[in-house]
Amino acid sequence: MKKIFISIFTFLALVGAPITSSAQDVKIGVIYPLTGASAQIGKDAVAAVKTALDIINNKHNIPGMPLAKDAGLKGLNGAKVSIVVGDHTGKPDVGVSETEKMLNKDGVHAMYGAYYSSVVAAASQVTERAGVPFVNGDSASPKLTKRGFKYFFRVSPHDGEFTQLMFEFINDFNLKNGTNLNTLGIIHEDTLWGSDSGMTQNAMAKEQGFDVVEKISYKAKTTSLSSEVQILKAKNPDVLLPSQYTADAFLFLNTAKELDYNPKMLIAQNSGYVDPTFISTMGNKAEGVISRSPFNTDLAKTIPMIGAVNEIFKKHSGGRDLSDVPARAFTGFMALAVAINNAGSTDPEKIRQALVELDIPAESLIVPYRGVKFGPDGQNAKVRGIMMQVQDGKYCTVYPYELAACDLVYPMPTWDQK
Amino acid sequence: MTSEIILQAVVTGLMVGMIYALIAAGLSLIFGLMEIVNFAHGEHLMLSMFSSFWLWSLLGLDPLFSVPITILLMATCGVLTHYLLIRYILKAKMLIQICATFGLSIFIRSIAQLLWTPDYRSINNPLLEGRLELGPIFIGQPQLFASLVCLMAFIGLYLFVTRTKTGMGLQATAQDRQAAEILGIPSNKMFAIGWAVGLGCVGVAGGMMTNYFFIFTDVGVYFALFAFVAVALGGFGSIMGCLYAGVIIGLVESLGGLLIDPSFKLLYVFVIYLLVVICRPQGLFGRY
Amino acid sequence: MQDKLSLAKSEPLWHTNKKILYSIISTVLLLFCLPLFDLNPFYLHLFIMIFMYSVMAQSWNVIAGFSGQISLGHGAFFGIGAYATSFLYTHYGISPWIGILFGILVSAVFAILIGIPMLRLRGHYFAIATLLIGISFQLVFQRWELVGAASGLWVPMTSGDSWLALQFHTSKVPYYYIFLIFFIVTFYLVWVLSRSKLGYRLRAVRDDPQAASSLCINVSNYKIMAYVLSAMIMAPMGSLFAQYILVIDPARVFTIETSIIVLLITVLGGVGNVWGPLIGASILIPLSEYSRIYLGGTGGAVDLIFYGLILMLICIFRPNGLVSLVPKHILARKRPQ
Repeated sequence: MKKIFISIFTFLALVGAPITSSAQDVKIGVIYPLTGASAQIGKDAVAAVKTALDIINNKHNIPGMPLAKDAGLKGLNGAKVSIVVGDHTGKPDVGVSETEKMLNKDGVHAMYGAYYSSVVAAASQVTERAGVPFVNGDSASPKLTKRGFKYFFRVSPHDGEFTQLMFEFINDFNLKNGTNLNTLGIIHEDTLWGSDSGMTQNAMAKEQGFDVVEKISYKAKTTSLSSEVQILKAKNPDVLLPSQYTADAFLFLNTAKELDYNPKMLIAQNSGYVDPTFISTMGNKAEGVISRSPFNTDLAKTIPMIGAVNEIFKKHSGGRDLSDVPARAFTGFMALAVAINNAGSTDPEKIRQALVELDIPAESLIVPYRGVKFGPDGQNAKVRGIMMQVQDGKYCTVYPYELAACDLVYPMPTWDQK
Repeated sequence: MTSEIILQAVVTGLMVGMIYALIAAGLSLIFGLMEIVNFAHGEHLMLSMFSSFWLWSLLGLDPLFSVPITILLMATCGVLTHYLLIRYILKAKMLIQICATFGLSIFIRSIAQLLWTPDYRSINNPLLEGRLELGPIFIGQPQLFASLVCLMAFIGLYLFVTRTKTGMGLQATAQDRQAAEILGIPSNKMFAIGWAVGLGCVGVAGGMMTNYFFIFTDVGVYFALFAFVAVALGGFGSIMGCLYAGVIIGLVESLGGLLIDPSFKLLYVFVIYLLVVICRPQGLFGRY
Repeated sequence: MQDKLSLAKSEPLWHTNKKILYSIISTVLLLFCLPLFDLNPFYLHLFIMIFMYSVMAQSWNVIAGFSGQISLGHGAFFGIGAYATSFLYTHYGISPWIGILFGILVSAVFAILIGIPMLRLRGHYFAIATLLIGISFQLVFQRWELVGAASGLWVPMTSGDSWLALQFHTSKVPYYYIFLIFFIVTFYLVWVLSRSKLGYRLRAVRDDPQAASSLCINVSNYKIMAYVLSAMIMAPMGSLFAQYILVIDPARVFTIETSIIVLLITVLGGVGNVWGPLIGASILIPLSEYSRIYLGGTGGAVDLIFYGLILMLICIFRPNGLVSLVPKHILARKRPQ
């Protein structure tokens, strides 16, 4: 008799325990490339997520930032958010493996990541099957939100939108200044990101009546770009559109200087051209370079939160400042956290529903999006990017004109002038 | 395509070819001595570039002046590699030797990533900067100096191997190890010297390249590939072959990229290699 | 003398130790029953990876171990297999089962096209040529718009499990069995090969081509045969991998890392030995998965440091691979009394 009582009691205690406790911790799986070519970007992104975690779990005084005032998630009675970090090494199957491990072994309630579009594509299939939300803040392939998935949400713009921004900028610039910039040169590295970017630019350019005089794809981290620069110099397009990572951007500009190639306007698909060390390394060789970006630190004038968040980010990143990818990673993660807070539960269905209904106003973001509100395809419909130009050793926002802090310098200063 | 543009491509190709040649020479020397292909050659190049970087970053030494130190460091690295690893696999099957140096390359690259993070580094405002203009041709000063220094180092290497006593000893050991031993030339010491000199060459190339190239843990990968091709194209065991092959590769890369399609630059180099090696399996000047 | 000769002649080439046979059969049975234990899918995944990499390494073993040619670009056939199934299914809706056959065919063709010109190359020249060919495949596929260029192919997900489309979404168990069957069949075939006349001729070509050709063994033919066989073993693994992950891109399936890993596994286990790839994969795959999970998250590439170290240590201390640790009498053939 006694034995039965004890066993029933133990059983109830074990089963009942979760029901009686009030704060159930929220676990989110985070995957990024922590080794390999994009390891530094991955590390920065993880630091950004940890920054968001810091703000959510502790009391901070950052006016306008959601979830900062309280410690933990108010909607879940002060539950803390914890993350499980995994390295997908840039391979889709490793991303799948890590995601499955996090879902099955760690019991995460949502997944977040992962920068590489191919990894996101594969890993989000796992979450789609499992009915768990996957939120992405920083992957560029337009294909990700064209799959009809119900559990995949992307907070950041994709390359299609950024390219659209570039063309709008060129058109607006032509109107404003009476110029007729029409010929384009596209040069991109040949990994997934560069290729997607180059292809998107090529396709959209043709649709909008621009003339692509040259499209070059080169091997990433190549040892030499002299033929490429020579060809571009010979063809001399009005606008050059590079999609390059850091090392290649550096090599390209150096080679352009060596061979005296002076593009009149250079609009980069960010990445290498907005690397935190780009300006400090290139010095005045970087003057006049324009890049699209979802983020710029001079927005701190119009968005004071950026300063406060950057201070916290520096603690987690080993002294590095916020830049494009970490800013987007931070924003995406916060969006997910706000949704979970709204849901008031860790049930994946409720979180998904909260994401569908999510509506974060522009004032709560450190990036210049008009807000976070997902369309039926899971893509944030309120994205907005900016164009910034390197002037006097700093990135200065030049477009859209209502956010601009400087006027555009055109044409780009020649090598002799820099 | 004007002749000026083509001439520019030729000049650029020649300059970069010198660098490929020197890197390949180090590889060829090591192979000639002990028939081991150093698959970690790219990583050794990366180490030399990092050495140049750290000497600049921590001690403020301009890369031009730190090259001698880099050479010494890389030579020491070569000797260490020989005594800690190569010595034990000299008698192993070729497969095992390949795997061992592969393992070394993975090891060095990962340790570099652990210690120095995968971040990109570069040297700001080196002494060598700017551009020369010879008529319609533009020549970057850092690139010009790098190729000239590499050429001189190459000539120095050639003279060392063919004119000095130690160099003769190296040649003897390369031709017939046992006979050389009998004549009193210690193989082990010769191998160590070979590694030291081979990696010293890499040190020169890497040190000079930091004037204009970004430095990161994966930087050696494609240079190593071109070095392998250069050595095989020139012929394993022939140092002069490296020079010709390096120049050919530089020119093919540059001209092929300009005249055909830059997207497939690497393919042209590979095709040349395959053609030469199939028609002449021992390479241009090879002994094997 | 005459007795011994006739004794040797009458001894069947495929005779083996009964104890080993029984232990193999029982292990196979155990593997078949494994999913019944309702394991965490992570363990199923681990086994699937071990099976896959064992077969891939075995493919490399055929050409390196049995015929002595070192291929550093074997990943190319993996990629061909992956693209074959994905392309046919994504563009024409053809079942991946047919795609697998197509992949095998295409790999065989490429193996012949690549193998013939390279016959003249020996040793390091051959190795470097295969390295370049592997990279060339990646280069071309990254720019070939028909197969998705650098984005690769994203295989559309079927709404449920489908044997026809080789996609299973509710559980990994069907994948497990498919991989297991391919694994058993491949190992059996290679085991038969190693004890067949063909296998002996290949080894003769490996050890002493001149002596072999003096015995009327057409060295070139056998070299190509080995290369083709090896490609045909590798391709289905690429196809199955594509169906397992459903997202393939040139950076993943045509990478040099694939070639490096199969090399590492085989050397670790023991080159030229049928069991080498299995031993190597059983150790390396769990090691790499666990070290990435527990050490990789820091971004310090610590797991890769171990790879490099292990490879070097094996090469120095146990160049015959771990299979050399197995006591000789277990592997030796029993002489009929």
